[in-house]
Amino acid sequence: MELIAIIALSALVQIAAAFFALRLIRITGTRTTWVLIAVAFCVAALRRLISLWWIFHGGTWTPEDLIDESVALTTSFLLLLGVYFIAPLFLTIKQAAKAMERSKEELEAQVAKRTDELREANANLAVELDERRRAEQLLAHYAEDLKRSNAELEEFAYVASHDLQEPLRMVASFTQLLAKRYQGKLDQDADEFIGFAVDGATRMQQLIQDLLAFSRVGTRGKPLEPTDCNVILDLARTNLHKALGESQAEVTSGPLPTVMGDEVQLIQLFQNLIANALKFRGKAPPIIRISAQEDNGDWRFAVRDDGIGIAPAHQDRIFKIFQRLHRRSEYPGTGIGLAICKKIVERHGGRLWVASEEGRGATFFFTIPKESDSDRLDPSGI
Amino acid sequence: MTGLIRAEYRPIEILMVEDNPGDIRLCVEALKEGKVRNRMQTVVDGEEALAFLRRQGPYAEAPRPDLILLDLNLPKKTGQEVLAEIKEDPDLRRIPVVILTASEAEADIIKTYNLHANCYITKPVDLDRFIEVVKSIEDFWLTVVMLPPK
Repeated sequence: MELIAIIALSALVQIAAAFFALRLIRITGTRTTWVLIAVAFCVAALRRLISLWWIFHGGTWTPEDLIDESVALTTSFLLLLGVYFIAPLFLTIKQAAKAMERSKEELEAQVAKRTDELREANANLAVELDERRRAEQLLAHYAEDLKRSNAELEEFAYVASHDLQEPLRMVASFTQLLAKRYQGKLDQDADEFIGFAVDGATRMQQLIQDLLAFSRVGTRGKPLEPTDCNVILDLARTNLHKALGESQAEVTSGPLPTVMGDEVQLIQLFQNLIANALKFRGKAPPIIRISAQEDNGDWRFAVRDDGIGIAPAHQDRIFKIFQRLHRRSEYPGTGIGLAICKKIVERHGGRLWVASEEGRGATFFFTIPKESDSDRLDPSGI
Repeated sequence: MTGLIRAEYRPIEILMVEDNPGDIRLCVEALKEGKVRNRMQTVVDGEEALAFLRRQGPYAEAPRPDLILLDLNLPKKTGQEVLAEIKEDPDLRRIPVVILTASEAEADIIKTYNLHANCYITKPVDLDRFIEVVKSIEDFWLTVVMLPPK
């Protein structure tokens, strides 16, 4: 009787195990393994059922059979437990996989988001770069325009003053001829009128010639080349030989450097500054000292005199074209010299200024860059 | 055979090619003060200058000049063109040509010398200087220099 119970129980357990095995298909997602296991359990259960059928039809059995069936029952039960408890394991794995999948998706989403942000930032950067490039182009364009308009203006001043010279030469020549032939032959008024006409025409000629000289600095300059300032100073002194002798001036100079310069213009620069020192001298024979020293990537030249000096209030004015501090009867000239000096220095990329007190001499300083930078040096582009 | 000798029995002939009547008058005035007996003829453009020199049209009786004063900025034919034609002409090329112009341009100076100008002078802006220069032209070309015989 116990045998029948054991066999039946084994069959039940085996069928239950087969059922759980089939359930695992859904949990694990693998079919073949569990079907095969379920079939194996079913076969075992079938074997039990055949045994039962055999017993019911009067089959004989031995006590060993009882032991076998007990072992089978135990095995089946253990297998059932195994199949039953393996499910949570698979569930955990599945959940872990799911969680991993989810975090992977999250990660991917995050990466995609970051990629988008990066792309957007890149696009912004490109736009910014583009704007900047355009601004730079615009700036370059303006600079080019300015350079051209400056050059045009200088050319205009040059051509205008050159062409004005011709008719003016006629006015001046014939008023002079009139003065020469008829001075003292008409009445006193006529003499005076002719005098004013001659004076005006002559002065205008001087102004126009000065204007021409001034605009020549920008329009007719030569390319800058290494130029020895010691030689330049010697040439300037030679040109001023007569005036230097007449004023008994003493001109001394320290060693001067070689700079990138336009020889003709540098001679004019030194000559104008020395000539000014002679012109605005004090009572004693003038002493003029010329020196140069390095200063912050520039050569700084100094032309020092012991003349009448310039009050600080007037020091800006003297560098402007046709600005004068004295009456023509005191000191002749149109007021072009320092304006030309300033223009020459600026064409060489430097600055010109003065340090002075009235009655205590003046020192004119100018700089010329040591390193040549062709764009900076020659704003006129010529 | 020399200019000096010839000057004794006939006036020196000067041709001035100049379109500005003021300059012509100034030259006339300056030459009045000159030492050499001279006769100045004037033409006012480049074509006339060549017609004069080749004795064409109204200039059939024109004298052959001993010296030509040539302005550069001329109507019809420029001074440079006139100069080129003179210097290409085997008969005229011996006549000295003095360029007397307002231009100070280096390009003009080089070009005219390349065309065999005999000298290049910029018209001085000052009257006294102008007279002095014209007189010195006269002095140099008509008394110092030995000119070719006609």
